[in-house]
Amino acid sequence: MVQTKFIGQVTKVRQSEPATVIEWPRSITHIHTYGMLSPFFQGLKEGKLRATFCPNKNCPENGLWIPPRAHCPDCHTEMKWKTLRNPVIGTIHTFTQVVYAGIGIELSTPYWQIDVEIPGLATIPKSYLLYGDPHIGMKVKAEFRTKNPTNTVLDYYWVPYEK
Amino acid sequence: MITFKEGNLRIPKWNRRVFVVAGGTTAYRKYFPEYKLEELVMIAFKNMLEDNDLKMDPLEVKGLINYAAYGEFADHFQDQLLCQAKVHDYLGLDPLYNMGIKTGGATGGSTILQAAMAVASGYANVALAAGWERMDEVDTRTGNFYISTAACKDFETRLGRVYSSYYAPMANRFAWAFKVSETTRAKIAVKNHLYACSSPYAQQPGKYTVEDVLNSPISAYPLRFLECCAMSVGAAAALVCDEETAYKLTDHPCELFICGGTHTLRVADRRPMEIPLLPHETPEMYKDLSEKQSRYPGFESFLACRFAAWLAYRMAGIQNPLEDLDLVELHDAFTISDLQTYGDIGLRPYGQEQDYIESGDAYYGGKCPSNLSGGLIGTMHAVGATGVFQAVECLWQLQQKYDKFHGDPKIWKKWGKKKPKDWQSLQIPETGKQALWVSHAGVGSHVTVGILRKSS
Repeated sequence: MVQTKFIGQVTKVRQSEPATVIEWPRSITHIHTYGMLSPFFQGLKEGKLRATFCPNKNCPENGLWIPPRAHCPDCHTEMKWKTLRNPVIGTIHTFTQVVYAGIGIELSTPYWQIDVEIPGLATIPKSYLLYGDPHIGMKVKAEFRTKNPTNTVLDYYWVPYEK
Repeated sequence: MITFKEGNLRIPKWNRRVFVVAGGTTAYRKYFPEYKLEELVMIAFKNMLEDNDLKMDPLEVKGLINYAAYGEFADHFQDQLLCQAKVHDYLGLDPLYNMGIKTGGATGGSTILQAAMAVASGYANVALAAGWERMDEVDTRTGNFYISTAACKDFETRLGRVYSSYYAPMANRFAWAFKVSETTRAKIAVKNHLYACSSPYAQQPGKYTVEDVLNSPISAYPLRFLECCAMSVGAAAALVCDEETAYKLTDHPCELFICGGTHTLRVADRRPMEIPLLPHETPEMYKDLSEKQSRYPGFESFLACRFAAWLAYRMAGIQNPLEDLDLVELHDAFTISDLQTYGDIGLRPYGQEQDYIESGDAYYGGKCPSNLSGGLIGTMHAVGATGVFQAVECLWQLQQKYDKFHGDPKIWKKWGKKKPKDWQSLQIPETGKQALWVSHAGVGSHVTVGILRKSS
């Protein structure tokens, strides 16, 4: 007769008083799609910053979207793509220095997280400053991680821009 | 640009009046191994049924309940899907229907709203609203990551992995636009940690100075650790009912009004719009806001909160919040979110939020004191419980029961603490009639504004 065996790992007891507390380790991989926004992330790897816009001329929103959206929230029309011309120059709207970050952080701390105004955009996207000290109103230039891309939003960042 | 059509702006109206009669809570701790989650909810439930001077036997009161709304922020933390089924069974309420509510940090407020809608519609005469969170199954940095998945996973989470980093940019922009000193934010932290010293439920009481706050370690500049709430474990419960039942159960029910608003998860996507004006505001008040380079709602304010207040004030007949309200419990997850909210709910006009603190209005004994419970910074943010706990604190204040539920040495002992010798009562005067609480999610993705009014 086949006997069922315990094939797991013995659970570690972390403490016994005032109550029994065990550890339950696990490792998980999520399979995540970028869906209709895939051209944005593909563009970053090619050194291009792509935005979406609503082609409906009667729509009240004529600004560009980064983060992009596949559908216009105002009239529900399917958006179209526009590649911003390099160099993309933006202005720091606000910023923070991330000193303490949660587990799995992929940028070395401390680093500057910045929110950037880009001409023509309806939005103020969040990104990071590769080096330098940010201030509100500072001009910055978009750059891209085309070598060894991360395939994430971290594939574009900003550097100080001086004419 | 967000624009409205007529139906969008309908003021919510209950089909019948809704009341809150009783509340319960546990203490809150960063690590709470003594109890399983459902045991904590049972403690809050029993506190609600047994200790609120209701005029019926606790089990008879339980026998009036025919619906439950349960708030829980994140399945990640509990590591248990359908947790509400476990809790509901544990409370002995099967097979009555229950629904789980999830709206981030606003979960508690939404849970009360859900229970109120059940009563107002006639589905229930008596509904239980309970909330909980168990954030101690993972270490703090893993918890920070979990919470940061309540930012956009594609465009924001990887840029911070800690929620303070989504509020800190708002703090910098707010300070720049409205010329606000860091000292003002620090005063909020000092106040709320201090008020937590009077609470036997508090997780982070402390007598700090402004210098202590500003010298504490930075989480994300400019926010220091003493300006931030902490991982928290605990549960809270409130009993919501119709008018007839309310007066059967107590001579001191509080009438409930509550509305909600939402706005984009990403601050990036906040497009400019006209300010929805509260009853006491005029367009002239804001004609110079754009000169301060503030684009409404921008990074400086929360449209969801303003919209919830816009609805709730009209629903409850509030004309001027500073004059009409006797207490507010605000969502001070971070000092900056507290500060921003003063403008959203009209305690001060936008751009002048700091004056609410600097004038003394926000303090005990002030014109409209704020977060006498100790708030999220001082007392708790077991997320799903928070909005329920805030409502319960407002209820007890209006019922003149602050001392009963905060000053009894037995309660301190029950939670392994000793009542401080210099314990101070923070009971608002008996003339206090109306209290407001704000339950707030994300960087303002969901917000409820609730108002409790003492019965006359």
